[in-house]
Amino acid sequence: MIFRAVEDADLIQRVRKGDVEAFNHLVSLWEKRVFNYLLRLTGSPDDSLDLSQDVFLKAYQNIRKLDDTARFGPWLFRIAHNEAYSHFRKRRPEADRDDAERMEREPARTVAPELTLAVTSALDRLSPEQREAVVLKVYQGFKFEEMAEILAIPVSTIKSRLYTALDLLKIELAPTNSRGMR
Amino acid sequence: MTCNTDLLRDYAFDELPLSDRPAMQRHISECADCAAELDQLRLTTAALRVLPDQEPPQRIAFVSDKVFVPSRLWNWAPWLGFASAGVMAAALVFTVAHRPVEIRTVVQTAAFQPVDDIVKKAVQQVREEDAQLFTAALKASETKHEREHQILMDAVAMFQQSNNTRAITEAAGQ
Repeated sequence: MIFRAVEDADLIQRVRKGDVEAFNHLVSLWEKRVFNYLLRLTGSPDDSLDLSQDVFLKAYQNIRKLDDTARFGPWLFRIAHNEAYSHFRKRRPEADRDDAERMEREPARTVAPELTLAVTSALDRLSPEQREAVVLKVYQGFKFEEMAEILAIPVSTIKSRLYTALDLLKIELAPTNSRGMR
Repeated sequence: MTCNTDLLRDYAFDELPLSDRPAMQRHISECADCAAELDQLRLTTAALRVLPDQEPPQRIAFVSDKVFVPSRLWNWAPWLGFASAGVMAAALVFTVAHRPVEIRTVVQTAAFQPVDDIVKKAVQQVREEDAQLFTAALKASETKHEREHQILMDAVAMFQQSNNTRAITEAAGQ
C-alpha cells in the first residue's frame, strides 16, 4: 500500500503538469476497485461503468484540489460515493425494477452458486448505509479513518454500521457458512 | 482483560493499536467465547469474500483534450485574481468619473430626436390639412351663399318686372 501511495503521488504530480497518459495510468490502477465498489452499491454493471467514468472525469478536473496526494484513494472513493448517491437520488423506480430483474437473470460469476446467492441475498437485506460500510471494509479494505473520510461521518458511526451489519450477516449466513466453508 | 466485543472486532479487522494486540491475543487464548466470536466473524467475512470482483466491461481512458487539460493559468490564479480585482476597481472609478447619467442622457436624446421631428411634422401636416379644409369649406359656403343671393336677386327682379308689367297693363286699360 505504501508503494501504491508513492506511485499515486508521482502520477498525480505528472497529471498536474498536464500529462494525460499519467492520469490514464492512474485510472488503470484504480478502475477495477472503483467499478466493483459502485457495482456492489448499485447492482448494475452499466450504471457502474457510467458512474466510474464520471468519477474519473471529476477526479481529473479536480485533482489540483487534492491537498495530500497520499490520500488519493479515500479522495477518489469520496467522489465515487457522492456520484453513487447522486445516482440513487435521480434514479427512477422503473430503473430499480429493471436492475433487480437483471440481477436475478444474471447472477455474479461464481465458484459456488449456492453461497454466492446466499451472500448476495444477505447483503441485499442490509440498509444501504450498512452495505456500504461492509463493501468499504470487507471488499475494499479501507481503514476506519479512510472510511470516515470517504463517507464524511465519524469513525464511531462507521463502526456501529459495520458491526450491526456483521451481526445481521452472521445470522443470515450461519447455515451457509457451516455448509460452504467446511 | 475483560471481554469486549468491539475491541475483538477491531482486532479482527487489524484496527486495534499495536500496543493493545498482545493483551487481546492473550485474552482470546484464554476466553472460549471470544475465540468462538472471532472464528464466527472470520467465517462471515470469508463468506462475503466469496463474491468475486468483476472486471469492468470496458476500460476507461482519457484522450488529450484542451477542454479538460488543466491549464497552466492555474499557476497564475492568485495573480489573476488580484489583476481582475484591479481591473474591476479601475472600471468602477472610470464609470463614476465619467458620469454615466450624462452619457445615458445623451444617448437618450440622440435616440429620441428623430421621433420629436416626426411628431412635429405630423402635427404641422395635420394643422395645414385642417386649414386647407377650413378654407375650402369657407369658400364653398361663400359660393353657395352668393348663388343663393343671386337666385334671390333674380327672383326679386322678376317680381319687380312682373309688378311693373301689371302696372303698365292696368294703366293702359284705364
